[in-house]
Amino acid sequence: MREPLLSARGVTVRFGGLVAVDGVDLDVHGGELVGVIGPNGAGKTTFFHTLSGVLVPTEGSVVVAGDDLTGRPPHAYALHGVARTFQTPRVFKEMPAIDNVRFGLEFAGRTRKHAHDAFDEPGAILDFLGLADVAAVPAGGLTPSKQRLLEIGMALGARPRVLLLDEVAAGLTHAEVDLTAQLIRRVRDELGLAVVWIEHAVRVLMNTVERVAVLHQGRKIADGDPRVVARDPAVVEAYLGEEGEPERKAA
Amino acid sequence: MSLRDSILATLVAALVLSTMPWLLSDFALSLTLTCLMYAGLAVSWAMFCGATNYLSLATAAFFGLGAYVTAWGAEGLPYGVAVLLGGLLAAAFAGLVGAAVLHLRGAYFAVITFGLGELVRHAVTYYEKAFQGTVGRVIEEPPEAVTIYHTVLLLAVLATVTALVVRASRLGLALRGIGADEERAQTLGVNARRAKILAFALSAFFAGALGAAMAVRWTYIDPPTVFNPFIGFQTVLIAMVGGAHTIIGPIASSVLFSLLTEFLRLQFPYLFMILLGLLLILLVLYLPGGLASLIGRWRWRKSNA
Repeated sequence: MREPLLSARGVTVRFGGLVAVDGVDLDVHGGELVGVIGPNGAGKTTFFHTLSGVLVPTEGSVVVAGDDLTGRPPHAYALHGVARTFQTPRVFKEMPAIDNVRFGLEFAGRTRKHAHDAFDEPGAILDFLGLADVAAVPAGGLTPSKQRLLEIGMALGARPRVLLLDEVAAGLTHAEVDLTAQLIRRVRDELGLAVVWIEHAVRVLMNTVERVAVLHQGRKIADGDPRVVARDPAVVEAYLGEEGEPERKAA
Repeated sequence: MSLRDSILATLVAALVLSTMPWLLSDFALSLTLTCLMYAGLAVSWAMFCGATNYLSLATAAFFGLGAYVTAWGAEGLPYGVAVLLGGLLAAAFAGLVGAAVLHLRGAYFAVITFGLGELVRHAVTYYEKAFQGTVGRVIEEPPEAVTIYHTVLLLAVLATVTALVVRASRLGLALRGIGADEERAQTLGVNARRAKILAFALSAFFAGALGAAMAVRWTYIDPPTVFNPFIGFQTVLIAMVGGAHTIIGPIASSVLFSLLTEFLRLQFPYLFMILLGLLLILLVLYLPGGLASLIGRWRWRKSNA
């Protein structure tokens, strides 16, 4: 088997006495589209923080393209080809939308070429996202759903090899969620990127990805084909148990 | 304005200003010198602090260090070399300190940089007393007033051109990204630590060089004079009142401030600090974007008329 592009080994994050992420392993190969789901508080976002260098894991390691980057600052991850979005859009509000996309191109994106040459232009990325008409608008003035798209655009500007999407569909309407799912597929198909997509809303994600990992109380309880994972008793219990068995949650 | 036009405009202004020693009275020339000093200090301060939204109060420390390079070298060192060394010492010091404290933000960074000024002041005081047996130094043969004026003008112009170039460069973009959302900028590939240390040291260079250049004006130099925290505060105020995210703002406001201070001191010798304070409060309350934001508003009105 080829070497994974992004590899998390036994990643554990402790905040004081709380174990937010507990020994999670995850391998992502080039061109893979992987979903990560889990109930609220399962540690999804915390896990993502460790994959992008925003948070240093208490234990375990994160290896990108063969280099162990554990403990390195976030820009090292970006330069190795890991780009991410944030759950709450963190666009540069004062800058026009197009400069937000250009930002990544000027830094992490300078070091790499996309398979898709048109993506060397921030305008082409905005076009791809359907944001061409707001290119000159300061990012802070965009609607929340457009800011979410722009977040993806900023990450694409960094010309990533692995794109980490943190709940990009949260708060969108059903129609918008479907469009976002299509967009994510196109990112993978047309640009050949590996995509790791976290979502709390499971329905669309399960229909879009080829592989899904399930986090529950900080642990990975399943990883595989969505159709198989959906029938996994541990997964079913994790989701139903969240409502049905409060004493289990306390344990 | 494009980068080239801005630099050209700066050089033309510099050329005009360089003839002032032969046109102005001694009093007016000394006032112009003060304007230029504060313009250089405020522009170089804003180069780092305006873009990144860091509040540094270390200007007095850099300024004083530069001044002491001149004082220590008064006997052997040519004036120009002292100015250069003053700048380099301040930049090296800023790089060293920056590496240690630039991960702090907001009030913590402001307090640390203020403490830094005090630390350096006391260290210099102690060194002078314990090892040199002196509390201050006399500069016996200061350079001609024209030389001082031209040196300070050169530094102010260099600071402005550097600020223009930095703003148009990737370093400038990185600094703006850091100011907007440091972590986001990092996840897009910005080496925030390196960018901040570099810009902090660059901005300190000008404060140090200006300190070294201005030191000869005092003839008697002691730590309370050259490490005066007022220099740092004044610089921050000028830059903020002018609009710290711009370059023209701090320049315009340093002229305004120097003239205003002088005018108020002459007209209302007892009330002048009160009036200055009052004016500041009003400006901060009603013009938080600084004087430079007036231009934006005026343009907006014009286009909407």
